[in-house]
Amino acid sequence: MRIPASRFSTAAKRLPQTVPLFLGRAAVVLLVFSLGFGCSRALSQDYLLTNDDSDTNGVSFYTIGPGGALNFAMEVPGPGLGINGGLFGMSRVVAVNNGDTQCIFASEAFTNDVFWIVPGSAMAGGSAAGSQSDIGSANGVGLAANPQYVYASFSTSSTIATFQVQSGCALVFVNDVTAGGLNGGTVDGMAIHGSMLIASYADGSIESFNIASGTPMSNGDKLMSTASAAGNTYPNGIDITQDGHFAIFGDTSTSDVVEVSDISSGRLTQTVVYSTQSGISSSNVLLSPDETVLYITNTQGDVITAAFFNKDTGQITRGCTSTRIRDYVQAWSYLGGMALQQITGNGGGVYVAEFGGPSGIASLNLTVRGSTCTLREAKDSPTADDYSQGLLSIGRFPPRSF
Amino acid sequence: MSLMRFSNDCRAAVLLLALSSVVSAQCPPRPVSGTEVQDPYAITPQNGTLQADFSLGESVDQKGYTHYCYQYQAPSGVVEAPTLRLNRGDQLQLNLADVIQDNDASRMEMRHAAAGAVCGDGGIATVSSTNLHFHGMPIPPVCHQDDVIDTLLQPGAPAFNFNIQIPSDTPPGLYWYHPHVHGFTEFQVNGGAAGALIVNGMEKYRPEIKGLKEHVFIVRQQYLVPWIPGPYQLSLNYQVSLFPNGNSPFINMKPGERQFWRVANATIQDFLPIEIDINGKAEKLELIALDGYPLAKTREVKSITIPPAGRAEFIATGPPAGGFGEFVVGPYDTGPTGNPDLSALLAVINPVSGAENARPSQPLSSDDTSSQPAVRLKWSDLENVHVTTVRKLFFSEEFGGTNGPIQFYITVDGQQQKVFEPNEKPVIRTKVGAVEDWTIENRALETHAFHIHQIHFKLLEVDGKPAPDGDMLDTVTIPYWSGKGPYHSVKVRMDFRDPTIAGTFLFHCHILLHEDLGMMHKIEVDP
Repeated sequence: MRIPASRFSTAAKRLPQTVPLFLGRAAVVLLVFSLGFGCSRALSQDYLLTNDDSDTNGVSFYTIGPGGALNFAMEVPGPGLGINGGLFGMSRVVAVNNGDTQCIFASEAFTNDVFWIVPGSAMAGGSAAGSQSDIGSANGVGLAANPQYVYASFSTSSTIATFQVQSGCALVFVNDVTAGGLNGGTVDGMAIHGSMLIASYADGSIESFNIASGTPMSNGDKLMSTASAAGNTYPNGIDITQDGHFAIFGDTSTSDVVEVSDISSGRLTQTVVYSTQSGISSSNVLLSPDETVLYITNTQGDVITAAFFNKDTGQITRGCTSTRIRDYVQAWSYLGGMALQQITGNGGGVYVAEFGGPSGIASLNLTVRGSTCTLREAKDSPTADDYSQGLLSIGRFPPRSF
Repeated sequence: MSLMRFSNDCRAAVLLLALSSVVSAQCPPRPVSGTEVQDPYAITPQNGTLQADFSLGESVDQKGYTHYCYQYQAPSGVVEAPTLRLNRGDQLQLNLADVIQDNDASRMEMRHAAAGAVCGDGGIATVSSTNLHFHGMPIPPVCHQDDVIDTLLQPGAPAFNFNIQIPSDTPPGLYWYHPHVHGFTEFQVNGGAAGALIVNGMEKYRPEIKGLKEHVFIVRQQYLVPWIPGPYQLSLNYQVSLFPNGNSPFINMKPGERQFWRVANATIQDFLPIEIDINGKAEKLELIALDGYPLAKTREVKSITIPPAGRAEFIATGPPAGGFGEFVVGPYDTGPTGNPDLSALLAVINPVSGAENARPSQPLSSDDTSSQPAVRLKWSDLENVHVTTVRKLFFSEEFGGTNGPIQFYITVDGQQQKVFEPNEKPVIRTKVGAVEDWTIENRALETHAFHIHQIHFKLLEVDGKPAPDGDMLDTVTIPYWSGKGPYHSVKVRMDFRDPTIAGTFLFHCHILLHEDLGMMHKIEVDP
């Protein structure tokens, strides 16, 4: 894979290629401290976060400026190692923000742990591993978090570990459960809402768990998704509406397929299938803050779709699709996870992880006029993520409220 | 029942042969880097019958590459993967013993037994099991001939007998043989288990090759671990191309000499744009045949892209005195999710005034000792026959992540996408006598190579436009979809009129990882 030197936005800071990585990181951290960024203060600035799941691992912070412009702020090295790739639908960096608790968590697939960052501290506070049987080095470790618990799905062992959040964002391992699909599929996507955790498996089945007591307990509703039963797709990434009425699955497919399950009963129900027919595969989905728009990554393709979502009925209708994201094939091969530009309204657009070496972050701006919309890549897109050789997951701080 | 009885009789008959034949699990050493490329040893028929005993062995070389080798006891010693040279009408009696040391088979086993009636040893397919496919040959898909669905040979069992009569209307040309155990084909072919089969008589259709010195070149590809993307090596007749990190293999030709080259792509996944560069510039190639089928007339080209499993036969002209030549493979773009196929120098071509130009002691393909006349080529009337059925198929892929899981599909339009299962029912049923036009699309972001067993097909259209040459092929490339616009496609004419090919056989992508992971299905041709 070749990356033209000039492809990235000049707004992104790049480390001199001659500076050893470790020294580069140290210098950046010191620079950030000297600017008053450190000292464990709560963040007032919005940040885009990347999980640099490379041979070395860490979280890069980019300030989100007016109009969505990204500027590299710092990279916080993680204590462990990553793997440069994995499943598309896993979130590997998540943030929680309920006022009292502000934390950022990121997974490290090679060393099978989760590390935490107290926003403003500019350093990893520590890391926690699950049991010895929790292994994610094949395809990554997915995360979902609330202020009390962090759940980590391990792709190799197909287990979900529960960590309790302590003061200072520290994690303490509680226990783990084995989770697997009807036909032996390993755990893939994961999302939580209230007392419900929903997982997708690589064989096309889905399952929900009750996490009211902290530890996931199956609700006994494991089923094959409707599209999977038809044999041509399987759910991957997951999002859940604010009221917990619907779970939305982005499908790994040969086309663009999204499925919706009514979970208002507290259990999964048979999914309804929607196809936007706008691209190839659709492993990642993300609801806008006002739940009027569903952003869909065409994981294997080169476009992003914004479909209209009806939060009362769960119906999805066609919206708009971007043009080809810049430098497809030349610089990156897959699109990964998304993060919102704004945490109000329709989100104003999304950032999208570009899986390359090094990777980038595409910025797309959304404009909605009545029942139509446009989704355009920003002029200064993409932004370099110098520390990642295989970026798949991004997040933001503060996160969306649900 | 009759097949089973025949099977047992054959096995008893060949048992003694097997005991006396080559049974070493260790593969013979392969050519040293930087030496002259040697043609494979050739075996020829005696009184209309070619009888040979092969044993499939396995060993690991000093660099960690696993070799799978067809061993044959020649008078001069054990040779690897000899060329089988046959005339139309000849009988091939090939005994194959699996002598792989089966010490870790359970690690790699696929939980399936042979699909239907047991042919051979049956049991569970493992990386140490094998069978044999005669790629491109229009012979019956039945036990002891060219069946790979039910045929399974196990390590240590007595040799299994393949007993095949070369049909009298078989197009003369270059075919090849290789293992075809579902789930494990890639491993054994990656290790080098592949050889040439030549049906004599090309000169009767393309007389311009008469008197030319002939070379048989088999391009192979080896990965350290074939299912993990990474560096690979190409080799020419087992001599690895190490350029620029080592000495290149070389071929000596008289200055300006014209030779008849027969090139098979036995790589596991590489598309090969081959050319001969003379003094750094692509030289004219006179294309004679594709996939073992003589062209209607010689075609002058400067590059020939051979898909995995494809063959090209052409007249090559050597460099002039004082010049230099290179037999090269160009880069090939297999798409955003495909593996990079890199350029390589297969061999340096030296103009040597004293180069040996005598015909080798072994008969050439142009020596059709059967003295048969040039009969009308099989399938030569396909352009104008009545088409009984039209079908549409498509390739597609699903990636759950950068490291997988990946699903590879070939699907009949309107049917459910599913991967191949050995016990599946045929997804296509037709009858002897049918002539069908298939449109095959590629909806994946990766180039695929379509292949069907037992028959050749006529290439009618590419991307909806007429294919001007209407070549007869058994493997065809369908480029990747870029994500925009219509899918790339080919339209081909399938001929099921020959009653001897009645039965169940396979069609699939000949990128062997794809085939092993299920981008394959069955077709049943009812009598």
